[in-house]
Amino acid sequence: MPKFYHDDEAWADIAPLPQDDGGLHPLAAISYSDEYSEAMGYLRAVMAKNEYSDRVLGLTEHIISMNPAHYTVWLYRANTISEIGRPLQDEIAWLNPTALKHMKNYQIWHHRHTIIDALGSADGEAEFISSMLEKDSKNYHVWSYRQWLVKRFDLFDKPEELEWTHSMIESDVRNNSAWNHRYYIVVGGREGKLSVELAKQEIGYTQAAIRKAPQNQSPWNYILGILRAAELPKSTLKDFTCEFADVQRPEEVYSSHALDILADIYAEEENSKENAAKALELLATKYDPIRANYWNYRKGLLDQPNIAA
Amino acid sequence: MAVPLRFSTPAPSSRLEEIIPGSDRIEELSDSSGEYEDMGTATVEEQAHIAYLNSVRIPITDSLETATSRMDDKTAEIILPFLEGNPDGFTLNTFGIPKLQRESHAGALEAFLGDYPARVAFMDASRPWIVYWALQSLTALGIDISAYQKRVAHTFSLAQHPDGGFGGGYGQLPHLACTYAAILSLAMAGGTETYETINRKTLWHFLGRMKQADGGFTMCPGGEEDIRGAFCAVVILSLTNLPLELPPDAPARKRGLTSFTDGLGEWISKCQSWDGGISAAPGNEAHGAYAFCGLGCLAILGPPKETLPKYLNVPILINWLSSRQCSPEGGYNGRTNKLVDGCYSHWVGGCWSIVEAATTTGLWNRTALARYILSACQDEEAGLRDKPGKNSDAYHTCYNLAGLSAAQHQYKYDENVNKGLGTGNLGAAYHWKTEGVYDGKNNVWDEGDVVKTIHPVFVIPYMSVYEMRKYFEEKEGF
Repeated sequence: MPKFYHDDEAWADIAPLPQDDGGLHPLAAISYSDEYSEAMGYLRAVMAKNEYSDRVLGLTEHIISMNPAHYTVWLYRANTISEIGRPLQDEIAWLNPTALKHMKNYQIWHHRHTIIDALGSADGEAEFISSMLEKDSKNYHVWSYRQWLVKRFDLFDKPEELEWTHSMIESDVRNNSAWNHRYYIVVGGREGKLSVELAKQEIGYTQAAIRKAPQNQSPWNYILGILRAAELPKSTLKDFTCEFADVQRPEEVYSSHALDILADIYAEEENSKENAAKALELLATKYDPIRANYWNYRKGLLDQPNIAA
Repeated sequence: MAVPLRFSTPAPSSRLEEIIPGSDRIEELSDSSGEYEDMGTATVEEQAHIAYLNSVRIPITDSLETATSRMDDKTAEIILPFLEGNPDGFTLNTFGIPKLQRESHAGALEAFLGDYPARVAFMDASRPWIVYWALQSLTALGIDISAYQKRVAHTFSLAQHPDGGFGGGYGQLPHLACTYAAILSLAMAGGTETYETINRKTLWHFLGRMKQADGGFTMCPGGEEDIRGAFCAVVILSLTNLPLELPPDAPARKRGLTSFTDGLGEWISKCQSWDGGISAAPGNEAHGAYAFCGLGCLAILGPPKETLPKYLNVPILINWLSSRQCSPEGGYNGRTNKLVDGCYSHWVGGCWSIVEAATTTGLWNRTALARYILSACQDEEAGLRDKPGKNSDAYHTCYNLAGLSAAQHQYKYDENVNKGLGTGNLGAAYHWKTEGVYDGKNNVWDEGDVVKTIHPVFVIPYMSVYEMRKYFEEKEGF
């Protein structure tokens, strides 16, 4: 049933402000329904007089149900909640089903962020996030929100956080969002340099993941990120990388990413430029030809001093 | 190690590849493998496409199945028939690739600018975007948009907020994304009267309120801070030639900042992630659209040769950007292990001009991208799309065409270009030029498929960029 305000006694004191499109016909104009049009007229009227009240809360809910991407309405709702002191738990309870319906919406996530920040507690958020990721395991907003939660509530050292991230990687070792979260809690979101000891743990963990599917780029990138953070050379990985590619046996390459790293390892060694060039040639001609230009560019860099990435 | 076949056509075994030269391989396979029925009926053109796809395919596939690999396989099954053949029966160019369907796309774009039914009320806050995407697409197709000039100015004058900046429409709060789309649309519409609808003084104050103490920008009052905000803000500041100093009422002033650019490069730097890409905000996952925002921002802060190495690890950035090109599809994805999508033709494809201006040319595969756009992203009816099976829309039309433009034209940074322009604040991006149409190996487009040049940073025509900046450089005061 559409909801209207003009015959609602509770709104009798408000004169709606209709949308003024005066003069020329605007581009990309929407022929609003009477219901949407009227509700927006009442919203403009209450915004003009800075009214924050329970009825405004109801009005914003009504408009959000018709247009969840309406940032103006969300922002005004957040202000209303803060002004009238609506219990924040009530707001979260209302928000949950709305968020599940509109997962790719910036406003809902930012609203949640605002409310949880004010509430000062992350209780229940982990469970909520898990239920969202079950529907869309790489949702950018959900993962970004999780990173904010870790920082806001200092969850870096909470064992459950790393365990949960591990379970997400376990269920799909190719989920780059999960690898990103791991990096964030292990090193990215923290201050200071990564210790060699912790780096070695991470390297061991990642090597096991690579063995499951060597052509999966996420853990290869992750392991390189860890080396960079701990200021360890790529040659740390030489033996491991050679399990998946050997320039002397060009028929037996099990990972193009291994060839990529081998090229850098050889480039950094004395007298191994030829092997580096061979790895890059294999990539350009056979194992990753769509990027031939890039591999040839890297090959060109071999003749220049200091090419380390 | 087991190597199951991923795609609808077989990847030749490495031994076979050695023994039989590429041109004969198709026949060999069609003779010997009865399970690939379509191979027997393939036309000469289709055989050539299939041979090409085999030649750019990564010949390694892991046997482990996960949700990601299942989705990849399913998607490839949908896309590959469009790269191998011509299921929609488009007219083909001399390379056997669908021609750019100019007339039907133009029709769709005119419709995007028209009226919408009530059921799309969810787009009420995105109307500035729709106008920008449609106008930019029309100019990319070489269509004169001057008939829209007055309506563009009117549409955005209704969306301008009394406190500065533009919202999604009348009565909506100002938002940086809406303001970005508004300024670019007004620049394309052109003309003194159009430019003068912008209240630059209140705009300056609005931007001042978005500047954050950590160097970044929020999208709207009380809204999220991410790299879109940084990019939109510098695009607006630069095109409208606003003062770089923060307005007196900017909250960031209380935290010791005095300029819009204070801490900005450093903030972008923190958005570079562990794998080399660029994310929405520090700590988030690297993503193609945010990479373009970050690079665009740096290309406005100064010449790419200076700003990219100053704020980013360029070698790992190039590695990450390069990895976004999907094999064998040729289009880009936005993140590691995600699906190819036509919109990244611009978001990732558009990064290359800026990166090449900081390094060297010839880093990427332009023709593979163009092939994906022309073969897989043109909707049978009209407009361009994410991938086969998805509907076309203004967003995908705009960014596929912008990506096609990036593939076809060679955009070069040259500080000797336009020496008289951009001498003041944020003027670096006025020194780009076009060095002709790319003509390399494996070309897939005829002259009739070439779209117009597009400014690689502002993503509107060069003339629109120059004229708006020139107007506001010559104007005194707000």
